[in-house]
Amino acid sequence: FKPSDFKTCSQSGFCRRGRALAERSQELSSWHSPYSIKPPELSPHQPGFTTNVHSSVYPNVKFVLDVIIHEEGIVRVRMDEENGLRKRYNEATQWALIGEPLLSDDVLWTVDSKKAKAVYGPKKDMELVVDFNPLKITLFRGGVEQVVLNGRGLMHMEHFRTKEDSKLAEHIEGEGQSVLQVNSAAWFEGDTQDAFWDETFSTWTDTKPKGPESLSLDITFPNHAHVYGIPQHATNLSLPSTTGPTARYTDPFRLYNADVFEYLADSPTSLYGSIPLMHAHSATSTVAVFNAIASETWIDIAHVEKGGVETHWISESGILDVFLLPGPTPADVFTQYAHLTGTAPLPAHWSLGYHQCRWNYVSSDDVRGVQDRFDEDDFPVDVFWLDIEYAEDHKYFMWNKKTFPDPVEMTKDVEAVERKMVIIVDPHLKRSNDYPVYKRASELEVLVKPKNGEGEYEGWCWPGSSSWIDFFHPGSWDFWISLFKTDTIDGQWSWTESTNNVGIWNDMNEPSVFNGPEITMPKDNIHYGGWEHRDVHNINGMLFANHTFQAAEARTDPPRRPFVLTRAFYAGSQRFGAMWTGDNLGTWEHMAVGIKMVLANGVGGMPFAGSDIGGFFGNPEPEMLVRWYVVGAFSPFFRAHAHIDTKRREPYLLEEPYKSLVRDILRLRYSMLPVWYTAFRETSESGVPILRPQYVMFPKDDAGFGIDDQFYVGSSGLLVKPVTEKGVKEVSVYIAEDQVYYDYFTNQPHRPKNRQITLPANLDQIPLLIRGGSIIPTRERPRRSSPLMKHDPFTLRVALDTSGNARGEVYLDDGETYGYDKGNVVWRGFGAESTKRKGKGIGAVRISSVDLAVRTQVGAYDPKNEFARSVGDVRVEKLVVLGLGKKPLSVVLEGGSELEWEFASKDGAGVLVIKDPAVRVVDDWAVVVKLE
Amino acid sequence: VPPSLISKYVPSTKGSRQTWTCLDGSKEIAWSAVNDDYCDCQDGSDEPGSSACPNNKFYCRNEGHIGATIQSSHVNDGLCEQECCDGSDELPGMCPNTCQEVGAEHKKKMEAERKLRKTGSKIRSSYIAYAHKEKKRLETLIADLVKEIETREKEVERLRDIAERAESLSAAELEHKKQSPLYQSLLVHNTALKSLQTEHKKHLEREKALGDILTSLRTGYNPNYQDMAVLEAVRGWEALAGLPHINDVRKGDDGEADATTEKQKTEDDVEDEGLWNAAKIEKELDQLIKTDHVTLLLEHDQLVGPASAQSLLLDISAYLPDALLPSYYSFRDSVLSALSVFGIGHGGTSDTSAESNRARVALSDAEHSLKLTQDEQRTANEDLMDLFDPDGFGPEGEWKKLDGTCLSKDTGEYTYEVCLFDEARQIPKSGGSGFSLGKFSSWNKAARPGEPEYYTRQHYTQGAKCWNGPHRSVELVLTCGTENTLLTVAEMEKCEYQITGTTPALCRPLEDEHTKDEL
Repeated sequence: FKPSDFKTCSQSGFCRRGRALAERSQELSSWHSPYSIKPPELSPHQPGFTTNVHSSVYPNVKFVLDVIIHEEGIVRVRMDEENGLRKRYNEATQWALIGEPLLSDDVLWTVDSKKAKAVYGPKKDMELVVDFNPLKITLFRGGVEQVVLNGRGLMHMEHFRTKEDSKLAEHIEGEGQSVLQVNSAAWFEGDTQDAFWDETFSTWTDTKPKGPESLSLDITFPNHAHVYGIPQHATNLSLPSTTGPTARYTDPFRLYNADVFEYLADSPTSLYGSIPLMHAHSATSTVAVFNAIASETWIDIAHVEKGGVETHWISESGILDVFLLPGPTPADVFTQYAHLTGTAPLPAHWSLGYHQCRWNYVSSDDVRGVQDRFDEDDFPVDVFWLDIEYAEDHKYFMWNKKTFPDPVEMTKDVEAVERKMVIIVDPHLKRSNDYPVYKRASELEVLVKPKNGEGEYEGWCWPGSSSWIDFFHPGSWDFWISLFKTDTIDGQWSWTESTNNVGIWNDMNEPSVFNGPEITMPKDNIHYGGWEHRDVHNINGMLFANHTFQAAEARTDPPRRPFVLTRAFYAGSQRFGAMWTGDNLGTWEHMAVGIKMVLANGVGGMPFAGSDIGGFFGNPEPEMLVRWYVVGAFSPFFRAHAHIDTKRREPYLLEEPYKSLVRDILRLRYSMLPVWYTAFRETSESGVPILRPQYVMFPKDDAGFGIDDQFYVGSSGLLVKPVTEKGVKEVSVYIAEDQVYYDYFTNQPHRPKNRQITLPANLDQIPLLIRGGSIIPTRERPRRSSPLMKHDPFTLRVALDTSGNARGEVYLDDGETYGYDKGNVVWRGFGAESTKRKGKGIGAVRISSVDLAVRTQVGAYDPKNEFARSVGDVRVEKLVVLGLGKKPLSVVLEGGSELEWEFASKDGAGVLVIKDPAVRVVDDWAVVVKLE
Repeated sequence: VPPSLISKYVPSTKGSRQTWTCLDGSKEIAWSAVNDDYCDCQDGSDEPGSSACPNNKFYCRNEGHIGATIQSSHVNDGLCEQECCDGSDELPGMCPNTCQEVGAEHKKKMEAERKLRKTGSKIRSSYIAYAHKEKKRLETLIADLVKEIETREKEVERLRDIAERAESLSAAELEHKKQSPLYQSLLVHNTALKSLQTEHKKHLEREKALGDILTSLRTGYNPNYQDMAVLEAVRGWEALAGLPHINDVRKGDDGEADATTEKQKTEDDVEDEGLWNAAKIEKELDQLIKTDHVTLLLEHDQLVGPASAQSLLLDISAYLPDALLPSYYSFRDSVLSALSVFGIGHGGTSDTSAESNRARVALSDAEHSLKLTQDEQRTANEDLMDLFDPDGFGPEGEWKKLDGTCLSKDTGEYTYEVCLFDEARQIPKSGGSGFSLGKFSSWNKAARPGEPEYYTRQHYTQGAKCWNGPHRSVELVLTCGTENTLLTVAEMEKCEYQITGTTPALCRPLEDEHTKDEL
């Protein structure tokens, strides 16, 4: 990390101004917001209102406020300057949202001289109160303040002004004594014009032709002690303070997509992606704020003594466009946010397998060789990746024919074992006329422009002198789609040396510009529509992934689910594929913070996430690598990657016992693919993340709110606590409930003592528990790749809870098409129900399988659909029942005969293994275990 | 089940039940549970025909071809395994039986391979013959050298005697002349010149080292460091050294580069009048420093001093007590005659000090020749030792023929050259001397000397250091082939190259295998 490469708040003009504003508010006892509403100007329009906002410091500047209540009680608050000298950027939601949110039809507004009040919600317990003078917006639930906007009077929308006007307001120095011109705004705005018209950082000067236009907003959660979200930062899930006596950092959290070389493992600095969404949580409710802003944003957080959290958001440009998500549970907030920005779609099934990457596999024979070594050692793997060195002179799409003379044959050799390749395509284009992609983009005039708005911006990246496609330009969209076609259309260049199965890796899309300010584009660059780069910076990377996703999807008709990995992201990026935590280091600290970052990304609505196994930089020792594989195997996105300067570290290169340990971990992931895929289905519907931290699982358990080193996998009931320290022999897992948990590997039941379960955690042991009451579907046969498991039988681990019941589910489809939209799915619910005899405990357990898809109205579902028929031969080969106190008398297939079974009891823990009940996974069936 | 295990798969009868015991003895199961697609045994031995047990082996009989063993993870996975040409790894009817064709293909391939080895091994036996010839040659050479050394030793003895005696005669007079201020000043100048040369060389070396570092940085810097300071350094060096920008070189845009270099050269050629240019310094400074000042002193004397009729050696009688004169005369005559025999003396007219000096030169020449001969003998001895050393040129000496043979491979951007048992180099095609990729250091460390595997890999290590990386190294992977040639070059890790190639030295005769098979 080079601190000199990146700004601190004090080096960023508008952040300085924002923090100075907050400081003045502390010093001035009579501080109050200068913004107010005049009730007669308020024009209600169901379910909201529009009105003017007046600023007492700039009475001649007009602002317009719009407040609307949407379905599910989501409140949208918008404010813009009206008829200003220029226009503030107002298109962030156009890219972030999936559509115009629906209006609520159930709101009652009342207006008096001091405030407007809306009452709504099914229980009529929601209240939105807009105080007129000073302007303040408060959301209540059951009379309790949930979120307050401008409660501290820090809201400030700097209006557009001319340089001349602003000069008049400055000091005029007299002879020997300073004569102060009356500056009526000084108490609020300060009396200096700090970095209004240009700003220099290191050798770069930002010309700021539009002058000051920053936006400051205080958001307070008076009754919530924890805040989560605003990825991406290398920090705790429960965000620490950045101001006040409890501050852990001196700078605010920053959202400004940046390519940070060797980033720190504990820091508020900005990283590759930005999602301006913050959850606030307490044992009584969860609420969230989505601040749809695309410019650089700094967020101060203060946990205050009274118990709430005060936050202060300082953005460089853009309109005020804030969504309040009312909750009241974490799951509600996830779903509300998903209804705004969409969910992560169900990914291609193979993309949940193991990804083997390195910068770089150097030739097509190298790729084949790596594949051979995986097969020789019987390690499952689904994807081989190619980094930038495949491309001649880093001209993406163009193969270096000296090292990759036969790219299609190579790809097909990988695909012959039902594996896939993912190939990198970065957004910088080498400025070379022998590069058809650049040439065409230049002809179409869809490249980002320099500050004068003419010609092509030129910066330095991998290929040397480069230019960037402006994906905000509609003219780039069809062009981008045409590039990925594997056949030539209209004589235009397209990627004929590729296959339709190839996944795409979008790196460097912050965008990374080696010779730019803060390793990115100058803020005064010009995008489509005349917007400055500063206005759209944080969205820029999402648009690249968005159009790549569409291009990859458009390769085939009917379309197949594409796989795109992105480094930069924004609110809504979850719709376009997976992300990873960027260029981490091979250290224990980075391994640990990688988990927290993936959890935070889940909170930010982007669940398909992972960190580079082994760390991108450095040569991890074998112990660290083994532990990191566990972290990876329990991440939604499971990829090993390494820098070009590192030693090779493919798992087959490890010595024993490490090699076999990694093989076991890979096989464990593959055996659990049904769990992961089922979890992805759920998140694609609900938006609830795949990795669920303690506060999401147990929102009323205060003691779990700060825990971010263990998590549950979907709603499967699996709880894992990966070891992220050297030399660990045992770990303590936090348990929020009085429930039995079973060791996944030994079947040993545990009951928490003082809310802890202590588990052995030597290098060959993974602290993985099954929550009592869960049924875990797995496929236990090792295969070379996941598509080869299609016909393998299932094993069900039935982990009975303390009352002898359990439930679980499995979702299956073809894994690559959108056939699920037409009902081509198998979605089974598994249940175990105990009948109890009075005082005698469990009499019998009935384990059954029912059709879940039939209850949904998705498509024209038919239990005998095409996909179900294609897996008609798939059996359940084994049932493992945990939590039976004693040996059964009989185990019978309902409507059939006695089954073969074995019962083993050790230390009071009974494990019943039922051998091959000869039932099909697509069928309804029941097995009855009789104990008395 | 492979034929070797088939006898273990029989049921034992217990009452009315047929049972079977897992091969590790851990469990007894019903015979019907064998190969029922459910894993009963810990060791997986009950499922030799399915994929139910992990880490198991599956045997395909491949009738018409050769039986093969595959991993159980490949059984019933929907793919027809190449190894199982009989299709037995998948459900019946799924995979065609291709054993006839595969068998025929295999035979063809084996035949081609046999042919290759046959030709290759012929060449190899010529290498072995060469090694034997070489052995004989070396032995004869060594015998000759031993004799020659004896002769030369005697000669050195004789010359040393003469030189010492001549020197003792001239030393006194010479010492006197050396007191001349001109001579003293000359010495000081000489010392200064020497020091300057040493310093100059140091600077040149330093400059070269810096140039190497910067060139290495230029060609090897890793743009991922995203460090504009590095980029500036590269550009600065390119401007200073008149090199084209590295990215342009890769583009093949060399025209401009040549022009720049040309310009640089012309600038260098402009000289200050009378001053030496670099080439002249390089060529003539050494000579100047090595000037024999004593000879110069004497020559100078001859030219400017009052011509002394007799040289010191001949006139020395004037200083000697009379009693010694007779013996002196006889000695002088013998020395003079010896000097004229060597053609360095000019009888009575030449300067005796110079002559004594020449005697010294003759001695050192003779000593040098002796040393060369001794070195030659030592090398020959070492070569002889290496010749049939399993750790050197192989137990049959089959590698001796290739010692120092240079093979090269043009990859477009670079030419890679490996001089066997010597050094590997990377030479950029755009010009420049390139880098050492390492000197020969060892054979395959994963095998033992004498094993065939041992000779399939050579390691070249401690090459030029990479910028921000290790010393460059090469692993040369060789297989049997009729030619000595390099096939591929790959940089598998930063600055670690893998080069593949073929050589007849690895084509062992076919009979080797046959004998093994019979055993």
